[in-house]
Amino acid sequence: MRVSRSAGIVVGDWPERPEVVALLEGAGAVLAWDVLVGDVVPAARVDDPERAAEWLWEIYGDAADGILGTAEEVDAETAGDRRVRDACRTVAQLNWARAWWPASTTAGVPALDPVVLQAERVVVLSTVEHLLDDPDAVPRALESVVSLDTTAHPELAERVRALAEDYGVALAPAAETSRSGYALAAGGGGFAGTTVLTGSSIVDWTLVPAGVVDAAAPAEWAVVRRQGTTVLEVSVAPGPRPGTRLAARFAEVDVALDAVDGLGRLTGSAPVPPTVLLLPPDRRALTVYAPGFAEPATPDPGAEARHAAIIAYARSRTGSPEATLTERTAR
Amino acid sequence: MVARAWAGLGDAVAPLSNGAGRPLTRTVKLILDPLVLRPVLNPEFAAGAVAVEHVDAMRARIADAGPVLAATASWFVVLKKERRRARITEGNPQDLYFQRCFELATEHGAPGRDAASVAAAVLAEVHGQDGPTVAELRGFLTDAANAAALTRLIETTWAAPRPVPSAATMALTEFLASCAAAPDRALFRALVAKSAGTAGAVELDRPGVALAHGLTDRDRPAPPALGESASKRNLPKPFDRSILERLFAPLTNTFLRAGLADVPALVRQEITRSAGPWQLADEVSRVIMALGREASAGLTGRPQAGGAAARLRSRWEREAYVHRVLRMPSAAPPAVRADVRGVREAYVRRLWVRVHGRELRHDTVTAEQVWDVLDGVLRSVILDQRDRLRAALEREAGT
Repeated sequence: MRVSRSAGIVVGDWPERPEVVALLEGAGAVLAWDVLVGDVVPAARVDDPERAAEWLWEIYGDAADGILGTAEEVDAETAGDRRVRDACRTVAQLNWARAWWPASTTAGVPALDPVVLQAERVVVLSTVEHLLDDPDAVPRALESVVSLDTTAHPELAERVRALAEDYGVALAPAAETSRSGYALAAGGGGFAGTTVLTGSSIVDWTLVPAGVVDAAAPAEWAVVRRQGTTVLEVSVAPGPRPGTRLAARFAEVDVALDAVDGLGRLTGSAPVPPTVLLLPPDRRALTVYAPGFAEPATPDPGAEARHAAIIAYARSRTGSPEATLTERTAR
Repeated sequence: MVARAWAGLGDAVAPLSNGAGRPLTRTVKLILDPLVLRPVLNPEFAAGAVAVEHVDAMRARIADAGPVLAATASWFVVLKKERRRARITEGNPQDLYFQRCFELATEHGAPGRDAASVAAAVLAEVHGQDGPTVAELRGFLTDAANAAALTRLIETTWAAPRPVPSAATMALTEFLASCAAAPDRALFRALVAKSAGTAGAVELDRPGVALAHGLTDRDRPAPPALGESASKRNLPKPFDRSILERLFAPLTNTFLRAGLADVPALVRQEITRSAGPWQLADEVSRVIMALGREASAGLTGRPQAGGAAARLRSRWEREAYVHRVLRMPSAAPPAVRADVRGVREAYVRRLWVRVHGRELRHDTVTAEQVWDVLDGVLRSVILDQRDRLRAALEREAGT
């Protein structure tokens, strides 16, 4: 692995696109795996060599000396403490899953159970507590864990209970994750009128919170002439955790997605000037975003291929014995 | 190195270890460092700086402590069992019992037949501690019989002329340059002796300066009110807090208040403290504030080369990346956005609260701890921002 020293110490190829990164924040260094690449040994960015020196050998073995010294190339494929490195990988994987798991009915990627995810995460987090950046990471994570169904996952439930006792944290009781307060107006008129132009655009994952929209379904739009006016109709398929306010931007017009149609899709419409019909095709792009979460922006050209790769990866994880319990028990 | 020596102790110390067989964070912080390795007495064992020639000595010391550590672990198990039996749920057992267990192990060896009763007595002592309460504090401050005298004390302490030592900025940057890797104890002592912290507070009295630091909403700091109520959620900026609000937080923690002075003394100390430079009482604390201000300047301004300032900057820059990777909002709600833009002010405020809390507990920061404090404050500001962003997201999704 290459060690670069131009801007701090960077080991290996640092993954830049956020949606492929499985990250672990260690004391003095951050570890990152690109989930699509599948390397065992992570890339690292060292910010505080003194602190990182206390544990970096557990990941890189003897190569850690070279990393913190002056080496330009190190071999760390088989070194380190496997148990610690694997646990770090699992924490990172769960961090990735929490943020980027592409749940999609359209693509057949089942949703993760957030209760199992939080529970599994706190258990592995405690395994590598000694090298984490946040000394209170375990009690902090325990705060968002709820008591687990002991019949479904007896072993995990017992370990979480023991941890809560060790750290003196009272677990929140298991609550039905209700979809409370999620009430949108049912279908407003549908697509009545004359449809003049239609199209679809992918939803940029970075513009909406995790789980709000179906990760694979494109957002669809139609320009409709109705009773002498021109209207833009937009619809997008919801994900497992809808509820966040969504909007869409099309040629500088903002549309609030505040209704649900007969198919359960989130929809919205807004009047547009007839001149939208004159737009060149490359400007007929629809951007779905969550106001207050992100500003609308055009996705980079590689996004669609990357999304497809991540969706395929997620699908392979649900049946993989190497995957986390959280991924394997996705429903 | 510690990990290898620790592994040599085997299963006997499992209750003090994590799932990977390494000592728990609090095992290191509360037992190994202060009670076994004791870097203050044995500087050759200071964390991260153990030279090759001392490795064997360090390993030997941990191995020698094996029996007492094993007994400590057994006592911890006994205490946890007794805690469960007594249905005690308050506090973090590791924080509360680790050092007690080491004491028990030193005194009694492994738990014997009377273990349960010994454990019960320890628990009764730990959890039966008292100290001043919020109710007493409020009663004292709002009692008309005290109010006049206390108000006068505020007036006289605030009217007293402040010492104006000469500035020592150069030495501050010099200490910051090395404090993360190799803290210079002599230099730190000199900073304290020459009142570098007090010198750095002089300008805070000028119009707008403390405001720009984020320590007050006023143009100039004003004497504190005695105060009638306080709530953890809506505390004003540090210099705008009443005496009640300044003392409120430590008193709500059962385990912190045990070590505090009685209410009248506590209040008078706090009044004097509020009139001091940085509104703090110890020069060490003031030096930390001056160091923190200096080091945090690079967070938003021009990056500084090397040392503590550069490391803080790199943590802050890293956070922007971590943010994207964790899929946190890029367009934050206004309240949190103000904090992100004003990270330096948030930093200085959090640092003041930390240092003030340590003053109350008589927990003086040493030269070796300075970097941990400076870095820990930024970490805490950042994690707090993440928590608030997550909460805002969940609120948004729930409505």
